[in-house]
Amino acid sequence: MVVVNPGAVAAFGATEAVASLQPIVWHEPRDSYDVVIVGGGGHGLATAYYLATRHGITNVAVVEADYIASGNTGRNTTIIRANYAIPEAIRFYDHSMKLYEGLEAETGAAIFHRKKGHVWLAHSEMGMRTERARVLMNQAMGVNTELLGPAGVKALVPQIDLTGGGRYPVFGASHHVEAATARHDRVAWAYASGATSRGVHVIQHRPVTGLLRDGPGGRVLGVQTAAGPIHAGIVLSAVGGRVSQLAAMARVRLPVRTHPLHAFVTNDFEQGLAKIVASTELACYVSQTERGQMLIGAEFDSQPSFSRLSSFDALRSYAYKITRLLPFLRSMRILRTWAGLCDISADFSPIMGETGVDGFLITTGWGTWGFKAIPAGGEALAERIATGRTPALIAPFGLDRFRNELAMADQASAGTR
Amino acid sequence: MTDGSISGSGGRIVVDGRPIEFAAGDSVAIAIMRSGKVPGGGGTLCLAGDCGNCLATVDGVAHVRTCEVEARPGTAVAGDPGHGKPPLPIVDGRDLTRTPIGRELGVRRIDVDIAVIGGGPSGLAAAAAAAAGGGNVLVLDADSGTEVVAIYPGRSIVAREPAGMLHVRADEIVVATGSAEIQPVCPGNDLAGIVTSGAAERLQAAGVGLGVAVAIGSPPSGVACTVLDGRLIRFEGDATGRLRSVVTTNTDGSEMTTACDTAIVGLGRAPRDVLARMTGDDAISLVGSVADEHPLPAAPTAGEICRCMGTTVDDLASAWDAGYTELELLKRASWAGLGPCQGGACLPHVRAFIAARTGTVPEPFTARPASRQITLAEAAADTTIDAFRRTPLHDEHLALGARMDRFGGWWRPWHYGDVVGEYWAVREGVSIGDVSTLGKLVVSGPDVVEALERIYPCHVADIKVGRSRYALLLNERGHVMDDGMILRTGESRFVLSFTSGGAANAEMWIRDWVDTWGLRVHVMDRTMSLAAINVTGPHAKELLARLGLAEPPRFLGHLEADIAGVPCHVMRLSFTGEAAFELHHPVDGSVTLWRALLDAGRDFGIRPHGLQALFGLRLEKGHVIVGMDTELDTTPHRLGMDWAVRMEKPAFIGKAALERTSRLPDTRRWVGFAMDGEAPPEGSPILGRDGDEIIGNVTGSWTSPLLGRALLLGWLKRTPFPDRVVINGREAVVTATPFYDREGLRARA
Amino acid sequence: MPALEPLVGRRVIGDPDALDAAIWSGRDVVVLRLAPDEAFGIGATAVELDDEHAIDESEAGFVGAVLSTADLADVIARVDWSLPSDPSALAQGKVAGVPAKLLIGDPSLLVTHAAYAGELADRLGWSS
Repeated sequence: MVVVNPGAVAAFGATEAVASLQPIVWHEPRDSYDVVIVGGGGHGLATAYYLATRHGITNVAVVEADYIASGNTGRNTTIIRANYAIPEAIRFYDHSMKLYEGLEAETGAAIFHRKKGHVWLAHSEMGMRTERARVLMNQAMGVNTELLGPAGVKALVPQIDLTGGGRYPVFGASHHVEAATARHDRVAWAYASGATSRGVHVIQHRPVTGLLRDGPGGRVLGVQTAAGPIHAGIVLSAVGGRVSQLAAMARVRLPVRTHPLHAFVTNDFEQGLAKIVASTELACYVSQTERGQMLIGAEFDSQPSFSRLSSFDALRSYAYKITRLLPFLRSMRILRTWAGLCDISADFSPIMGETGVDGFLITTGWGTWGFKAIPAGGEALAERIATGRTPALIAPFGLDRFRNELAMADQASAGTR
Repeated sequence: MTDGSISGSGGRIVVDGRPIEFAAGDSVAIAIMRSGKVPGGGGTLCLAGDCGNCLATVDGVAHVRTCEVEARPGTAVAGDPGHGKPPLPIVDGRDLTRTPIGRELGVRRIDVDIAVIGGGPSGLAAAAAAAAGGGNVLVLDADSGTEVVAIYPGRSIVAREPAGMLHVRADEIVVATGSAEIQPVCPGNDLAGIVTSGAAERLQAAGVGLGVAVAIGSPPSGVACTVLDGRLIRFEGDATGRLRSVVTTNTDGSEMTTACDTAIVGLGRAPRDVLARMTGDDAISLVGSVADEHPLPAAPTAGEICRCMGTTVDDLASAWDAGYTELELLKRASWAGLGPCQGGACLPHVRAFIAARTGTVPEPFTARPASRQITLAEAAADTTIDAFRRTPLHDEHLALGARMDRFGGWWRPWHYGDVVGEYWAVREGVSIGDVSTLGKLVVSGPDVVEALERIYPCHVADIKVGRSRYALLLNERGHVMDDGMILRTGESRFVLSFTSGGAANAEMWIRDWVDTWGLRVHVMDRTMSLAAINVTGPHAKELLARLGLAEPPRFLGHLEADIAGVPCHVMRLSFTGEAAFELHHPVDGSVTLWRALLDAGRDFGIRPHGLQALFGLRLEKGHVIVGMDTELDTTPHRLGMDWAVRMEKPAFIGKAALERTSRLPDTRRWVGFAMDGEAPPEGSPILGRDGDEIIGNVTGSWTSPLLGRALLLGWLKRTPFPDRVVINGREAVVTATPFYDREGLRARA
Repeated sequence: MPALEPLVGRRVIGDPDALDAAIWSGRDVVVLRLAPDEAFGIGATAVELDDEHAIDESEAGFVGAVLSTADLADVIARVDWSLPSDPSALAQGKVAGVPAKLLIGDPSLLVTHAAYAGELADRLGWSS
């Protein structure tokens, strides 16, 4: 299998993109499976893929309300990084980053993975304190992150205005050398192709309307859909956005609130912004896509909502913020804006594994950081489903941590993708 | 095509470095065509803002539809090099810093009853009808220079005008945007020299000749051309990409080739309904041809389907065959519709492609802003965020050489150039610090004691008038939200203080709870009404005596007094570990008071201290800084502050949670550490004694000038809690806090 | 160019009914009703109201500028929210992104906290 990467090919257009697609196989749905995964985004599809490839479990259905990757998988800003502030998160995301690095070789799919480096700017003494702590903790965990002064930032990002538009002076940054980007829907398709070619069913346009229970409070036996029930040995919720409603069907209350997050891209330009540039204080970030667009996002809306409509207030504030740092963006035209729904947990970390209800597992709380976690999250959930044991990598991220006062608080790492 | 004769030259624009004449009223695209050239890199031109085939860089802005820009003398146009990509623009950041914030580009704002988008006959008719009904009507017409970018929820319209941006809020929106002409999809459709019927009419009206022209489909009116009856098969061109002939079918099915300079295509129309579909709002109505049913074109079989991205019909078929078998997947897999025109040209063909394979016509792509593109600068016009606050002593700090930093939404002195000197002034002489940013509330009312007893985990009722108590503020989960002082100023009146960052939240928190409980309590936020200066050090009392405070309050006492003629609420407490008096006073007296203190303390070697010295001073005392040391699930117990919580109280916010969590194993603890040598950086990982496992992190770190050692505060998160750890490769010993003056005698002196 | 000058007066938190009937002493007092339970009497030296628990404090934490018609238009151009439909009402919200209050009348007055004075003047282009 030839891996086509636009970084390695001079002219990469639509024809080359299509030629690099891997086939997705659609099967006629059955009414019963060993495993039903609700949600055909990256996490659901990756779990199905790893069930099939790592554990030989292929009697699996991924049930998707819309089309695959139609939710946050296809709406995020595609940043892959491990520069978190707490050891448990660093270990998890570092593993995910390494799985991403090998994903093209493993699946043969072109996901346009590119190592870029993530420059996380600080504009105050307290901001530098946060970045310094990040660097120290990353290095202690074996993750390659370095502390930069203003001159170091300028060397990596020559376009930057170190005065921050006269308002947000750049005190320095942490530079996470291994950070990368990948084409988001390509990741979902890589997993969908790998899973469906091994016999996994992906059922699109099948919203789940309820859960089948063995009596009130009993084991979850499957899902109800408008087109009839689907029985399952085990059900995994890999839903984004509407996860609180799905969990409520199992009478599981999640410490999760859903907030819209907006993003936009410019038209295509020649490559010229090598780094992913982010700012915690300004809560905004930008990277250049493989096609040459500037992909820009910011912090999720402060008000919870399930609306995926674009907001002009978000656009104008994101545009304002990012142009303070990178004035060259000012004259670029905005091609498209969109919004996704972020499930924000009480401690800004994901929730994976047991729900307290037999037969019902969950992967949620992916907030604004879910894309980078797709491989590791899918791999770990597949292991949990296949073996019945929660892997050590995700054990700290169980739902019970909230009851046990063992929060994985890492808000300072969540602000930007 | 031939050069159009210019009647009434409007001046010259510069295209790829060469000046060309234009006629008054020309768009850039028409001016270029008048000069005998073709804008963009080929493909069918609509000259109506629907396709992406006339793009160029205009006055430094790339990807501009030249048909939408009026030619003006000096307009600089650089053709986008075929399908190549423009380089990143170069902009001087200093322009930003020189301009008043948010003033770079103006915004005009209008509230109307009814906004009509589109100034064609149906739009004007709708506007006239609305005006006759007494409504306040605004017509937004692209042909008159007002391009609607998007409609957002709340019926808010963003548009671009020649002079800047226009933001409109409307009760009702009428979309009368008309319809777009269908582009041909067949081999050779990427050649230069193909125009739509509408474009041909526009060129004719502008006096731009088309040379030898042939028309396929519905011919344009009033344009000299040969009308071909057959079905379009392909276009043929030369090596330069110029159209040379059109191949159509004869009545017998054979091919007929017709030589021409220009091919005019009239293949039907599709609604321009993107704006109407953007928000799904019921108060948006459609009139005119945008509302009409338009038949889809025949399913395409060959040629470029998406000119913007270069997707061919073969590509579409390959993606379909690979399983990308619905509109949204097909679009992402084939790139059709992802370019500058956002599917304006290709969408009808992609839908026809799918309909031919499934028998069902799919819904159009999701409509997302922007319908017309704007730059980031245009989006950001008149946008401001983050109003930073200055204390009344801001200029005093600057005059004293302070390095100012933003902290908790305020500008504060980080240091005055000599952190250790500032430290010693506090420990051995006297120093002043600007603590104006502290949150300050006054609460009063018949139920105020009851309210505060419920809000705080400590006792409140037994605080005597003129006395105060340190208090934590907990949330319902028993986690520390903030801390500060409770000062009783009357039987039913208190002053509450909070951290600088916590004041706004604390006010809402207390108001919310008081209202929830239905208690009669008034709350006044005095944070920005009162400034505060902390006078601290062994000579503090003497300094204040010189300025008129004969009877200073005892430790944790407070009183009203004039100091240097400024009315002050004097509070005796201590964060630094030395005797300390906080002087809260009206902001208009601050400068007088500050200068008087500096003058009167000269012989004590008085100097101000900044935040950095303050952090070191507090660290030696082991005082917590909520937010810097705490995490979002930090309980008082984990901080070692059980003394601040009175579980015997009948009720307070967080009590039930603390009762439950007190039975959980003790897994996290915030403690002090001491080690030899220089202090490691804050944020350093704490490793177990064997140095191989991370068991915590440092939240505060300071090389104590007084003790000559590194003192630290931080978290231990592995049990059993060790008494020796490794930080920065060196051993550190868990040490009880405070590190300095354990009995607190100095603060009480 | 207008300048934001210190305002002094009395700020009161009290029962809304009592505030409605409050009697303000002072010369040319302008009362800004900041909330149902809150009022700021610019120029007030004392206030009488029927609420023994009212919080009545001397207030020096605000600054204000009297606006000419042209100044007012400039200020309104920097308001990105709908002004109250009653033109005499006190409008409270962000002006050029800075929390402020705008009293439209004769004369018109722009008020903000002294802590924001520098920032607001910068943003309105009123700093020299």
